[in-house]
Parts: sequence; C-alpha cells; structure tokens
Amino acid sequence: MNDARDLQPVPSQKSLPKRNLFAFLEGWLYLLPSIILFGVFVFYPMFRTIYLSFFLADQMGPFEFVGLENYQYILSSDSFQSSVKATILFVLYTVPAGILLALFLALLTNEKIKGIGIFRTLFSSTMGMSVAASSVIWMFMYNPSIGVFSRIAEWLGFPAIQWLQDPDYALLAVSLSTVWMNAGFAYLIILGGLQNIDTHLYENAKVAGVSYLYQLRRITLPMLSPTLFFIVTVSFINAFQTFGQIDILTKGGPVESTNVIVYSIYKDAFINNDVGSASAQAVILFFCVLLLTALQFKLGERKVHYQ
Amino acid sequence: MKRLLAGLSVLFVLFLTACSSTDSASGTTEDGKTEIIFWHAMGGELEASVNAIVDEYNSSQDKYTVKPVYQGSYEESLTKLNTVAGTADAPAVTQIFEAGTKQMIDSGNIQPVQKFIDEENYDTSQWEENISSYYQVDGEQYSMPFNSSTPVLAYNKDAFEEAGLDPEQAPRTYSELKEAAEKLTIKEGDKTSQYGLSILNYGWFFEELLATQGGMFVDNENGREGEATKASFNDEKGQKVFELISDMYEEGTFYNSGQNWDDMRASFQTGTMAMMLDSSAGIKGLVDNADFEVGVAYLPHPDDVDPQGVIIGGASLWMAKDIEENQQQAAWDFMKYLSTAEVQAKWHVESGYFAINPAAYEEDIVKQEWEKYPQLKVTVDQLHDTVPSTATQGALISIFPEARQQIVTGMESLYQGEDPKAALDKAAAEVDTVLEKGSRSR
Repeated sequence: MNDARDLQPVPSQKSLPKRNLFAFLEGWLYLLPSIILFGVFVFYPMFRTIYLSFFLADQMGPFEFVGLENYQYILSSDSFQSSVKATILFVLYTVPAGILLALFLALLTNEKIKGIGIFRTLFSSTMGMSVAASSVIWMFMYNPSIGVFSRIAEWLGFPAIQWLQDPDYALLAVSLSTVWMNAGFAYLIILGGLQNIDTHLYENAKVAGVSYLYQLRRITLPMLSPTLFFIVTVSFINAFQTFGQIDILTKGGPVESTNVIVYSIYKDAFINNDVGSASAQAVILFFCVLLLTALQFKLGERKVHYQ
Repeated sequence: MKRLLAGLSVLFVLFLTACSSTDSASGTTEDGKTEIIFWHAMGGELEASVNAIVDEYNSSQDKYTVKPVYQGSYEESLTKLNTVAGTADAPAVTQIFEAGTKQMIDSGNIQPVQKFIDEENYDTSQWEENISSYYQVDGEQYSMPFNSSTPVLAYNKDAFEEAGLDPEQAPRTYSELKEAAEKLTIKEGDKTSQYGLSILNYGWFFEELLATQGGMFVDNENGREGEATKASFNDEKGQKVFELISDMYEEGTFYNSGQNWDDMRASFQTGTMAMMLDSSAGIKGLVDNADFEVGVAYLPHPDDVDPQGVIIGGASLWMAKDIEENQQQAAWDFMKYLSTAEVQAKWHVESGYFAINPAAYEEDIVKQEWEKYPQLKVTVDQLHDTVPSTATQGALISIFPEARQQIVTGMESLYQGEDPKAALDKAAAEVDTVLEKGSRSR
C-alpha cells in the first residue's frame, strides 16, 4: 500500500550516539509548545476526569472514594440507556445524510461554469455561522405558532407538528438542523478533494467514452477516498460531541428524547452538581469514540486509495 | 514565519500571565472607597433597571462602590459561583434563585445576614413575611430577599367574551377551569385554532399547584423539620395536578407549549391558547405586548380544597463569607439600600417583581402604575392571601434543579399517554435516588 514509505532509508541506531542525543533533545524542544498546550488543555483534564469518575464529587472537587459505584449507577439507570439510544440515533441521522448531501453539492459545483463561485460560496456559507446563531434561526422555523414549517404544513393542509415538543420528532428536528450546520464544512473539504484529482484521468475517461456513473465509481470516488475517510472520521467524532444545538433547541427534552450523552454530562456536572457521575459518563463516551475511531481506521482505511 | 512564531509565543506568554494575575474580585478603589462586586442574573430590560439602581446607590453615599456583573441565567450564575465560592475571587453579593437556597446554605461559603440584623437590631418586620420566611431556616435569616414572583393565571379577556364567558370572572377551581377551557377551544375540522389552557413544562408550576392544596414536595415537612429523605409529591394532591393536565390534553383543550417561557408567551399572544399560567414578573410585558385585553387571576385549585396560596419564586441576595470585614459591611449596606421602600417601589414598577417591603405599595409611582396595570395588584393580593405553612414556604432541598427536571420529564410523558400516577411515581422514584445520593455530599 505504501511503497514509498518502505523505501525510505532507516537511520542506523548505532552511528554517532552523541549527535543522536542532541537531535532527540532538539526534537523535544520543537515539540515542547504543543506538548505544554496539549498537556494543560487535553491530557491533564482527561486524567483528572478519569480520576474524578471514581469519586463522589461536586464542583469543588472530590470528597468520597466510591470505586466503580458511579459506573454501576450509570449503567443501570434508564436515563443513561435512553441517552445512549439518542446518541446512536443522532449519529445515524446526521453523519450519512450530512456527508451524502455535501458530496452531492460538491459534485454539482465541481464543474467549471461561469458564476460557479457564487454557488460554492453559498453552499459553504454555513461554515461561517456559529452553532448558537443557526440554532436560534432553526428554533424560530420550528416554532409551532409562528414558524415557517407549520405555515407550510398549514398551507398543504397537514396538521401542524410541534417539532421540538414531540418526542417522536424532536431528535429528527435537531438532526436536520445539524446536517444543515455541518454541511458547509464537509462540502468545503470534499470540494477541495475533488479539485485535487488529476484532470488527465477524466480526459482519458472521455477518450474511452465511459458513462458518468462509471467515471464516478472508478475515478472520482477512489481518488476522493482519503478525503472521504477524513470527513467520515471527523463527522463521527463531531456528532458524538454535539452540544450547542441541543442546549438551545430542546435542552435534552421532551421525555429525554434528545438527551444525548454529552448533554447528560453537562446536566450532571453543571446543573445537578454531580461531577463524579458526569466524569464517569465522559470516560465511557471517550472509550466508545476511541473504539469506534480505531475500528474505522482498521476497517475503513483498507478501502482508502492513497496516491 | 519565524517572526510569526516568535510573535505567537510572546502572545502565549502574555496570555499565561494574564490568566494568573486577574485582579481580585473586590478591593479598595483609589479614592479610598470600598469596592464590592455584585453578581446578578437579570438580563435584558431588567439589567438596565438593576444598573440604574446600583448607580443611584453609588452616588447616594461616598463609602462604598458596587459593581454589578451580569452572569447569565439563574442556573448559570449558580454554576459560576460554585467554582469561585470560598476563594478571594468570590463576589461579595450574589443573586441566587429560590431553588438554590439549600445548596447555598450547605456550601458553607456564605455569611447569613442574620449576623448583621442582630448587630444593628435591623427591623425585619418591615419585610413581606411570606417572602422572607422562604429564606429563613431555623429562625435564622440566611439571605436578603430581592426579587420575588408568584404564579398566576393569565387569560385572554377578548376570547372569554367571544366564548360567552364572563371576562371578569376567571375560573378558580379545576372543574371551572376545564369547563372554561372547553368553551374556549375552537376546532376547525381536525385542527384546533384555539386551545383552552397551557402550562409550561417547568417544575416550578407543579410545585405551586401542589402547594396551593397544602401538599408537600418532600417529606420531613418539606425538608424544613429535618433533612428530606423521600419525595412526597406523588400523593393524591400531586396526582390531581397531573390528572388535570392529562385529562385536558386528552380532551384536546390543553396546549403543550414546551419548556421555553418566550415560546409560551408568543403562543398566548398569537391566540394559540386563551389561558396560561405565568410568573407575576412576566405580566407587565404580557399586557404591553398583547393586542387583546389580558386578565390576571389567582392560581386554580382542585374543587374540594381550600386554596392555601402560593410559594414565592424569584431570588435573594447572598453574602460571601471569606471576604474582608469592610466588604461585608459594604454588602450589608447595599442590601439594606435595596430593601428600602423607595428602591423597592421603583423595582416593582420596572420589573413586575414584588416589593419585598410592603411600604413600597404606598409610594406614588406604584399607585400610578397600578391604575395603569390593575393586573399587577392581583399578583400582590394573591401573595398577601397566602396562608403561611411549611407547604407554602416551599421545599428546602439541595437537589432542586434535578428534581425539577424529573417533574418536567413526567409532565412531558403525559402527552405521550402515560398514566398520571405512573408518571408521578417514576419521577418520585428518581428524586428518591437523587436525594439519597445528595445526602452523601460533603
């Protein structure tokens, strides 16, 4: 798969130990700024979270060691089970739909036509909107009394649905707005990937006279696969960490139907003042995402074609 | 590139030093005045009134300066306080909502104002008793009441007339309420263009509907005789509230307006429903914004009980413990200023919150305002008619925020056809678990 990498000469370990030590230290020096930043803002909080998950703790810190009790409590609680369900559904609703939509838009705008820049700007514009601002816009659109969705439903003669108050629809409604919010970023990345594909390939295809779909299947998608792999991985992780739109649109309700794990962590830590339970949930979520990402690299990367 | 990196690292170092040297929250200003920080949760128009009141205080004397800082919603500001409480950075005065009372007392980081009341023989009888008693535990006044509100029934008088109801005679009992809601509901085919009633999915309204029947939220006399150990809201009285919502929802006369106050008020103003429960603090805005006449009435109650009145909502002011003596003095002086009749009258008129000092109602600006908004007076009368008891004093538990979420989940499950008793029992079981867990806190 990676012939180029294998051919690179491996530096011999035995030669010039003194210079090696210096190079080693020099390397560390270059890494130091990022190690400090990661250490302070990522690694320390992570280990602190794992530590806190074994304690009864409030916002002032831990006060009683309880071992695995927090985990037992969470795993046996109905509320956490519904959180897991909501999270999985949310990921399934948002990731495939978001990537397919972005891929479709990117393929549309990958042509060299006059004025294409306008469409490219439009399709990527959601990237420039903050989650909070977009959520508020969607909140108005979903409003049963004054929102545009109920107006359309009324016009079509359907009964108005209370999108955000009905547990059957709330998660779908939040997912729809999330797909819209994330489409801009995915679109931009995929478009970049498309632009990178060697045009000679398409010229050859034209000479061979293959159909568009064949060209898409045999040239575009394989050449795009590293980009797609990146965007799938990042979208998955993003979807698991979604917070802003849920906080603004539904606050985890109705009947906990949108209470995804991240929101449940927030509620436990900052509203219910139960930092121990929140930490334990965070640890569980961390390992789930880690496992999923590892699986993706193991299974998904085989299909990725690196040039 | 190198320059950029150098620039960035300089910025980074600056950032680090800036972090470590945030100036302490309170101190002494250059002109010898003692400066204190006042955290509050009053956003929007209310923030402007708070700032105006503080400005007036600052110019009214030359010993102390108060700096007001808006900290977001009640929940958010409580969260923020928890992270700095007990340190030198804690604000001298913080506004905390009623449900955070027990958490504040248990935290051990606050100075009960009783100390200053005793030192000065400050006359607390000038306060509204129903309000100050909420913040009193074992006869000790912990915090200074500041902004208080109660729930009321707001209704659309024009819709009442159209439905052939007397707009001056609002329903008081549940059966009257159901009857009126039925008449007010307008159906066109399978679509309802106007519902009868709406109650926000918010735990506070349930607590109020329970208390007005004399019902207890938790055991041990609402946690005021001893630490609460079990939920008691799933008794007959609590069931009556849930049954009312469930019955009316099934009949199609009840509108589910979600969890958002603004959404509910918007629906009321656009005529989606003709009656709703609202906070007395929202009444003035409602009257100003509605293009119909708004009526205000007491909280409804089941047919066979004597209404006991209401629990106060809103917030009080808490003093930090680990701050310097002169700052505590400043905080106390500021609190006293806020509870004078003059300031309270201004506050009542601008915000719609109650005056904690009833003498405020004698001030001219209040009298003028009541002529313009007679609805405001109803909300005050309801508070005065309240029978003081542990039920109307409200529950004293530290896990209030979580208990409220459980009630909300219970209310929401009613719209899915859940049995009222089952929904309440489930909420009660959850609250029991949390109470048990909470009892193990420090």
